[in-house]
Amino acid sequence: MKKFLGITLGILTAIGGFVDIGDLVANALVGSRFGMSLAWVVVLGVLGICVFAEMSGRIAAVSGRAVFDLVRERLGPKAGLANLGASFFILGLTVAAEIGGAALALELATGVNYLLWVPGVAFVAWLVMWRVKFETIERVFGLGGLALVVFVVALWQLGPDWGQLWQQAARPAPPEGEAVPTYFYYAIALLGGAMTPYEVFFFSSGGVEEKWTRSDLSVSRANVFIGFPLGGLLSLAIAACAATVFLPVHVQVDSLDQMVLPVALGVGQIGLALVILGVFAATFGATLEVALSSGYCLSQYFGWQWGKFVRPREAARFHATILVVMIVATALILTTIDPIMVTEYSLVFSAAALPLTYLPVLMIANDRDYMRDKVNGRLSNTLGTIFMILLVVVSIAAIPLMLATKAGQ
Amino acid sequence: MRAGWVALALAVGAAGCSSPAWNDRDYELKAAASAETVGSTVEVVRLAVGGGGRLTRPYLKVVLTNAAGQVQSVNDQFGGVQPPSERAEKLGEQLLQVTERAEKEISGLLVEVRRDRVEDPAAAVRRLAGLGERLRGFQEEYE
Repeated sequence: MKKFLGITLGILTAIGGFVDIGDLVANALVGSRFGMSLAWVVVLGVLGICVFAEMSGRIAAVSGRAVFDLVRERLGPKAGLANLGASFFILGLTVAAEIGGAALALELATGVNYLLWVPGVAFVAWLVMWRVKFETIERVFGLGGLALVVFVVALWQLGPDWGQLWQQAARPAPPEGEAVPTYFYYAIALLGGAMTPYEVFFFSSGGVEEKWTRSDLSVSRANVFIGFPLGGLLSLAIAACAATVFLPVHVQVDSLDQMVLPVALGVGQIGLALVILGVFAATFGATLEVALSSGYCLSQYFGWQWGKFVRPREAARFHATILVVMIVATALILTTIDPIMVTEYSLVFSAAALPLTYLPVLMIANDRDYMRDKVNGRLSNTLGTIFMILLVVVSIAAIPLMLATKAGQ
Repeated sequence: MRAGWVALALAVGAAGCSSPAWNDRDYELKAAASAETVGSTVEVVRLAVGGGGRLTRPYLKVVLTNAAGQVQSVNDQFGGVQPPSERAEKLGEQLLQVTERAEKEISGLLVEVRRDRVEDPAAAVRRLAGLGERLRGFQEEYE
């Protein structure tokens, strides 16, 4: 019974934790502009993150070490450093976007400008990372993010033309008036949102923080194979709400207040309160996850003591890294740069760096020295290889498409 | 020598305030893009104001503040584009007439919400729908 409750709680946390500012922005934007014609990318992205998150969870449970801990050892210091540089840059950008998202959610609740909330959000986030237990962080904000289920309720209440939504989803091509390069630019952004690299760093490092062993593999797999797809359904609901409310009146969503409007129109003030709570929990939780991931990456590469399972004094450089990342990210958002724009760029840069994150996972999951009898099976390897080819194509196309379409204009 | 530096500084300043349109077609495309952005914002405001009691006051205030800022920014940017011909100038005036009306409408609604609430939501929705329609027509004609 205790194990069943643990699995259920883990799944609920995974659903709530799946959506962050990147998913919110990408899905609402795409839904308002392309309807459901890019739904296939969400499905593909969820399958991809399931494949690689399962591998990284297995690596943590079997070897007792996190992914980045093994990257330098397996790829060598030079390739590992290139990987670290790219990952760290994207993590910094993502932390800034998440802090901005949490501050914007507070602005929606209070009407007070988000810039006034930014320092407070960053300080409280740092304090939580410093003082609160890892498991509590994961559970509280993952479960808080579950409030985003209100997007599903709103979709139901809005009474969309289900046939039309299905038709849009079944026709994976740009709608009339939209260019093919723009369509693929947003496809890449959506994939970047669904397969954000920090999810893997956090998942595997989290496994080590929670001292997973082989007996925890079932919990890890339940989180991945049930929690993530249900989180993907939330992403689809966000896109469908935008497609229902905004597409017919030619609104192109470009701010958080617009993204939550369909929920307010569908469910009313209670729905609005829930969606703001959900957005805050999702973005604040993601701020913690991404900032911790930056500490994990750097510490694991250089072999420093890391993690929240030891006292801060014993992992001083790990905590110092987190503090510096928080300060830099906060400063970036305080320049008054639009957090939504930062999110859009972070998604595309994430997509460009996807192979750097996932290739080492695939290699280590096949290495008998680390995995012994738990190396990848035929299905994992087939899917992993297909995704690697796709991710390489995506990473080559991401930046040129961004330039050619003027970032999707 | 000093006058030369002042002239250069003024030229750089003026270039920073306004951007050129290469020809009439380029100007039309810029006008259509501006109409599209303002039209999109006007539709969001129409939906939000039409939502009535389903929206909280702080939330509606944020929606209107952002919308007013966005329309003002488009007006400033498009107003800074130099029309390459008299025909383009007339076109620009036509568009600015509508977008400036949109800016005034949204700012007026924002003032009402800051004081209390939108006084006559139904009338505001009608006016916004009219503006949105004109902007869409403009966009479709020139894009």
